[in-house]
Amino acid sequence: MSSEGTQGNLDEVRRRSLQAAEEAIRAASSRPDLHLVQAIQALDDADKFLNITATRAAEWYGLHFPELTQMVQDNVALCRIVLSAGKREGLTPELLQGRGFTEKKVEAILTARDRSKGGDISDEDLARVRALASLAVEISGNRDKLNEYVEGAMKRIAPNVREVAGATIGARLMAKAGGLDRLAMLPASTIQILGAEKALFRALRTGARPPKHGILFQHEAVHAAPKWQRGKIARTIANKIAIAARVDYYRGTEEASIRSGLDKRLESIREKYKEPPPRQPERRERPQRRDGDRDRRQKHRRR
Amino acid sequence: MSRVVREERHGRRFLLTPNLARGTRVYNEELVLRGGVEYRTWDPFRSKLAAAMLKGLPEDVIREGDRVLYLGTSTGTTPSHVSDIVGETGLVIGVEFSARVAREFVENVARKRNNVIPYVEDARDPSKYNVAKVDVVYCDIAQPDQTEIALENCRAMLKPGGTLLLVVKARSIDVLKDPRVVFGEEVKKLERAGLAVTSVIELSPFEKDHALVAAKLAA
Ligand SMILES: C[S@@+](CC[C@H](N)C(=O)[O-])C[C@H]1O[C@@H](n2cnc3c(N)ncnc32)[C@H](O)[C@@H]1O
Repeated sequence: MSSEGTQGNLDEVRRRSLQAAEEAIRAASSRPDLHLVQAIQALDDADKFLNITATRAAEWYGLHFPELTQMVQDNVALCRIVLSAGKREGLTPELLQGRGFTEKKVEAILTARDRSKGGDISDEDLARVRALASLAVEISGNRDKLNEYVEGAMKRIAPNVREVAGATIGARLMAKAGGLDRLAMLPASTIQILGAEKALFRALRTGARPPKHGILFQHEAVHAAPKWQRGKIARTIANKIAIAARVDYYRGTEEASIRSGLDKRLESIREKYKEPPPRQPERRERPQRRDGDRDRRQKHRRR
Repeated sequence: MSRVVREERHGRRFLLTPNLARGTRVYNEELVLRGGVEYRTWDPFRSKLAAAMLKGLPEDVIREGDRVLYLGTSTGTTPSHVSDIVGETGLVIGVEFSARVAREFVENVARKRNNVIPYVEDARDPSKYNVAKVDVVYCDIAQPDQTEIALENCRAMLKPGGTLLLVVKARSIDVLKDPRVVFGEEVKKLERAGLAVTSVIELSPFEKDHALVAAKLAA
């Protein structure tokens, strides 16, 4: 007879299983979703910060070599050049080729260097510009690492939300809701307008139309759609995200059917509402009708 | 003999199991004394096994001293009653893969009952908890492929002549089909795998579109 299943043996098995189970529970209660929420916010911070520092560095260096700022649109790439070249004269063909520019572009930049209308720059000014450029490059590296982290964490923590919404949008929704548990409890109608709270409250106050989408506007399927389809598409995606979040939270396994169901629904919306609706006669309350994205544009002007 | 006690109060039938963890509750069940022994009321609206027993499943499908593999313990409501039924000489191996719900199961049930061994594992991989051969496999995991998962576990751990109790939730298998058609299909799967189905019990009014299927492995 094997010793398996004898009583003394099972007591020992139970002791070890209890320990392992408690360990697994502790690991799960460290709330990886809250770390993910911090990471996506850090990523969005990094993007803002990167934009500010890189733009400033480019503008400052532009006093010395304005043509380069025109020719290299990507400010982080520009910062890298500034770091290795220093003054205009430091821009060698080898350096530019090493940065992956085409032969033609290298030629054009070198010509611009020789005929630049930019003024001289002192060593001290250049040192400040370079410090700024170096900061931007560092933030950019950090940003890419955060992005990788968000992708990986979404795969582990919310694979179904990631399938439907994409990693960054899914993580932003989770951040707005305050965690995967909270997102799993939100009705689809709330998910649809998460991130458009200001527009929503104004709509409630003034009787204007409620927003059709918030963060979900960033979803390719929403913003790439013709205007009259966007509300319907956002609602469909929000429905699927609500289901996906619940599956991720309560079940934790990936379900292919959620995504394929979404694709089918979107296809039928695109087909059914191919034509724009007939124009409505102008209504008097028109000036109050602003949806989420229009509101965002408006905001800067009013401040 | 089964340790489940049947009673009727105010025209309502209900079940009791002798409390193995004296003085403690698992959910909001009542504790009552019968002949100096403490019993816990077993709510058929919260436990599908209790519902099935009220609707005709013989109580002695699980007996004192039995070893039970319980798949999908959730927070431990039903497993705690199974632990009462098999008693000190029996064993409940409880498997739940969601750590969030397993916490209550481990704290309120496994910690307090010597006859329960908890596993935070996936029921798709019996090698993780195959520590003893069992008399009963109870499966309530609400997965579309749960019948296959249950069969896999029977192959790994069920003794010859042992019983499979399978909770079938029609909607988690196919939302559109008539529940009875779904039940019939799952029964066929069990029979094809060589089990003899002894009863199919629909759980209404306690649960909607659920059935408990009992089947026996040849001795
Ligand atoms: C309907 S509940 C079980 C309720 C429990 N039997 C009772 O009556 O108290 C289903 C449980 O199965 C778990 N589950 C689902 N798939 C599983 C799997 N593959 N392995 C282990 N547990 C699973 C779920 O996390 C959930 O807690």
